[in-house]
Amino acid sequence: MTRGLFSPFARVTPAQRVVAVGVFWTLVLAGWTLFHHHTAIIPTPVEVARSWVELLGQGLLVRLLESYALNLQAMALAAILSSVFAYASVVGAFRPAAKLVSQLRFLGMTGITFVFGMYFSGRGLQVAMLVFGVAVFYVTSLLSVVQGVPSGQLDHARTLRMGPWRTLWEVVVRGTFDQALDVLRQNAAMGWMMLTMVEGLVRSQGGVGVMLIDQNRRLNLAGVFALQASILAVGIGQDYFLGQLRLLLCPYSKLRER
Amino acid sequence: MNDATRAETLLKVEDVTLVLGDRVILREVNAEIRNVIRPGLSQGQVVSLLGPSGIGKTQLFRIMAGLQKPSRGKVLVTEKALPVEAGMVGVVDQHYTLFAHRTVGDNLLIAGRQGGLPRARAEARARELLGRLKLAERWDEWPANLSGGQRQRVAIAQQLLCSEHYLLMDEPFSGLDPNMKDEVCELIAEVAALHELTTILVITHDIASAITISDTLWLLGRDPAGEDGKVHAGARVQGVYDLVERGLAWRPEVQTLPAFRDLSLELRARFRTL
Ligand SMILES: Nc1ncnc2c1ncn2[C@@H]1O[C@H](COP(=O)(O)OP(=O)(O)OP(=O)(O)O)[C@@H](O)[C@H]1O
Ligand SMILES: [Mg+2]
Repeated sequence: MTRGLFSPFARVTPAQRVVAVGVFWTLVLAGWTLFHHHTAIIPTPVEVARSWVELLGQGLLVRLLESYALNLQAMALAAILSSVFAYASVVGAFRPAAKLVSQLRFLGMTGITFVFGMYFSGRGLQVAMLVFGVAVFYVTSLLSVVQGVPSGQLDHARTLRMGPWRTLWEVVVRGTFDQALDVLRQNAAMGWMMLTMVEGLVRSQGGVGVMLIDQNRRLNLAGVFALQASILAVGIGQDYFLGQLRLLLCPYSKLRER
Repeated sequence: MNDATRAETLLKVEDVTLVLGDRVILREVNAEIRNVIRPGLSQGQVVSLLGPSGIGKTQLFRIMAGLQKPSRGKVLVTEKALPVEAGMVGVVDQHYTLFAHRTVGDNLLIAGRQGGLPRARAEARARELLGRLKLAERWDEWPANLSGGQRQRVAIAQQLLCSEHYLLMDEPFSGLDPNMKDEVCELIAEVAALHELTTILVITHDIASAITISDTLWLLGRDPAGEDGKVHAGARVQGVYDLVERGLAWRPEVQTLPAFRDLSLELRARFRTL
C-alpha cells in the first residue's frame, strides 16, 4: 500500500492519495489539539467555528466584500502598470525603468507609507500602497517571463516578415499570455497578504483587516483564526478562479506543460 | 533523363565572410543555386549543404535566411538578385518552431496574411497545402498536440505560405529513424515539385539522405593544411557536386545505384580531410 509513496517521482494511485491526504489532515488536527492542551491560548476548531458564526453576525461578509473590492481594484492597476513596464523592457530606452521598479522590491513599506501619505489619503492611499507593494514583484516575475522567450521564437517571427513591434505583440505579449496570467494569479495572492496590513494602516475604509486588528487587540484568538480562515477561503477561491480562467483563455497552456 | 539544363540564378552567396569575436567562421564563401529546367516537368531545385559538425553550417544558414548579417559579402535572392532580408526566404529550424498560442490553421493563416495574401485566399491556400501534406483534419489542433513529423510539415507549410518559393531547412533528418528519414525525403521531393521556382536548401550531415533528395551538393569545410602545416581559419565551399550530371537526381531508387555508392564513399573520404 505504501509502496512508492515515499520515493521521488513515483506514481501515486488514487487510493494512496486518499490515504496520504487523510493521514496528513489527521496529523494536522491532532497536532492542533495537542498544542491546544499545552498552551491553553490556542483555540480549538470548535471555538474557531463558534467565533466565525459570531463574526458573521457582525457583518463579516460585507467586510470581506469590501476587502475583495479593494484587492480587485489594486490588482487591476498593478497588472496594467507592471505589464507596461515589463513589456517595454525589450526596448532599450525603457529597460532601466523596468529594472529599477523590479529592484525597488528590496525597500520596506514602512518609509514608503509616509511618502505615499503626502499624496494620497483614504482609499487612494490603500490602493497606492497595495499597487506599489505588489507591482515590484509583479514586474520582476513578468520580466523573467519576457526574458525567457527563446531567441529562436523571435527569429521565427522575423522569418514571417514581422517587424519588431509586431514581434513584440505576437511572440512576447500574446505568446506568453498564459504565463502572464499565472503571474497575475501569484501576485493576486500576495495582494491578500498585504491587504490586511494596508487596511490596518488606513482604518477608515473598513474591510476585513479592520476586523482582524480589532479581534487581535481584544486577544480573541478564536476570532483571529476565524478571520484568517475566511481570508484563506476567499484566496483559495480566487486562485482557483484565475487558474480556470487561464485554461479557458489559453487551452494550449495545459498541453505545453506536458 | 539528362536533358535537364540550368538556367537563371535564384540564390547567390557572394564572398560571405563571418567573424564572431576574433574567430573566423566563414571565409569568402561563394556558391549559387540555378533554376534546373526539365522539359515537360515543373521541378524545383534541392541543394544540400554538407559539412562536418561545428564547421559553420548553421551560421551560413542564418546568413542566407537574412537573420544575421555577414561581416563581409552578401546573399542575393530571386531572379532580380535582391539582397536577402528576413522573411524573403522560408526557414524551418531544428525545432520546427510554430506559434504555440495559435492553432495549426491560425499559424498558417497568419503566415499567409504576412505573405500579402487577402484573408480568403490565404485560407484557401493554407487548406490546400495542409491537405497536400496530409494534415487536412488537423486544422483546429494546437501545435503541442502534433508529433514531431507533423510539426515539421506544418512548419514547412507555414513558411511556404509566407515566402512562397524559398525554403531553408536546418537538419531536417536529425533524430529520425530510417522510415521517418525516407518520409522526409519524399516530403522534400513533393514540396520541390510544387513549383518550378521552388528552391530548397537542406543542411545536413546525413550523406545518404542528402544524395537522395538533392540535385546539387555543396560541401562546406576548411582548407587542408598547406606545405608549412598552417591551417587557414574559416570554412569555404570545398566542392559542388552536380547530381544531375551524375544521373543521381530525381530517382527514388537512387540508393540502389552503383553511382550512389561511389559518391557516398567519395564524400566520406572528403569529409575526413575537412
Ligand atoms: N555566438 C558565437 N560566437 C562565437 N562563435 C560561435 C558563436 N556561435 C557559434 N559559434 C561557432 O561557430 C562555429 C560554427 O557553428 P555552427 O553552429 O554554424 O556549426 P554547424 O556546422 O551548424 O554544426 P552542427 O552540424 O553541429 O550543427 C562553431 O565552431 C561554433 O563554436
Ligand atoms: Mg548546425
